[in-house]
Amino acid sequence: MVEEITGEKASAALPKKGQAQVVVVTSGKGGVGKTTTTATLGAALALRGKRTLVIDADIGLRNLDVILGLENRIVYNLVDVARETCKPTQATIKSKKSNNLYLLPASQTDDKDVIGEEDMRKVLAFFKREFHFILVDSPAGIEQGFRNACAGADRAVVVTTPEVSAIRDADRVIGLLNSKGVEPMLLINRLDPDLVRKGDMISITDVQDILGVELLGVVERDDTIIIAANNGEPVVYNSKSKAGQSFDRIAGRLSGENIPLEHLAPKSIWHRLARRLGA
Amino acid sequence: MFATIRDLFQARRKSNVVAKSRLQLVLVQDRAGLPNEELAQFRREMMEVIQKYFVIDESGFDVNYQRTDDATTLLINSPIIVRRESEKRDHEKEVEKEGQVSKKS
Repeated sequence: MVEEITGEKASAALPKKGQAQVVVVTSGKGGVGKTTTTATLGAALALRGKRTLVIDADIGLRNLDVILGLENRIVYNLVDVARETCKPTQATIKSKKSNNLYLLPASQTDDKDVIGEEDMRKVLAFFKREFHFILVDSPAGIEQGFRNACAGADRAVVVTTPEVSAIRDADRVIGLLNSKGVEPMLLINRLDPDLVRKGDMISITDVQDILGVELLGVVERDDTIIIAANNGEPVVYNSKSKAGQSFDRIAGRLSGENIPLEHLAPKSIWHRLARRLGA
Repeated sequence: MFATIRDLFQARRKSNVVAKSRLQLVLVQDRAGLPNEELAQFRREMMEVIQKYFVIDESGFDVNYQRTDDATTLLINSPIIVRRESEKRDHEKEVEKEGQVSKKS
């Protein structure tokens, strides 16, 4: 069944065998948008014609399936592939919205430490032949689940929000990634330019100052993200969503395109006035 | 109303400035590589050393890092309880008595 998918570039030729780029999406702190970032970047890469696999490494607390709207299609999972109770290709689920996007879900019933780093490397080695990009959604924390998610990764997207606790944990994670030889790139999520202007939110430059890591991109706080999660359709399919556009540019940068960082201006005075009047 | 006007004129320390400086301090601690338990032990030992020579207010004893642009300083804050001269003498007498007792035994 080949569906017609609008706006998607056809998949480019696959890279040489075993050449997929493995990117782990991690943060240390929970609730900053790791899973949303994984799903949305995966969808954005797929739209750009990259064959992309997103792996949910949050064993026991899977959610990437729900964000992608694929929760009803799960048969096998990451743990099954690691234990070889199924063929690797039996466990991946194709996205409803894209021919280039696949999900390898986590197991919901196992413990976090049921697989190890070697298992993860083995799983990746197989899928590296089939995809351009493999994005791994890491669980929160820095324990076994995190170590598994980082195993075999070339680079890392460190997601943080402009908050003291999230930045602190991001710093910890960046230290660990450096010691593992995984290159960290920073994604600042849920920025509110109005609050920054008022001096009530840590600015992009301050976050960069503190963490000293290459900035991959910034995503503004945006209601369309919540709506996208409600519908199980990543926000990049909504062409009007500002967050969706940001994620698309981030996906471009991730695949090596030179896309300058957008200027995130506070909303115009008319916009603010309208909001104050309840419009 | 007055509060709003006051806010306007009073240079309030913006919360993002506060957040940044708090973060920098926390990160110095995190990056110093001294885990919590060790820092606690250091705090205890430090307190013992100071208590050999001074009477201190234990509740106010505080070990922290201070970051300036080019250096990080270990900051130990130890409020000293200054006793009055008479108290000291009484205390010394007691010590002397004890000393005598111990000599006798």
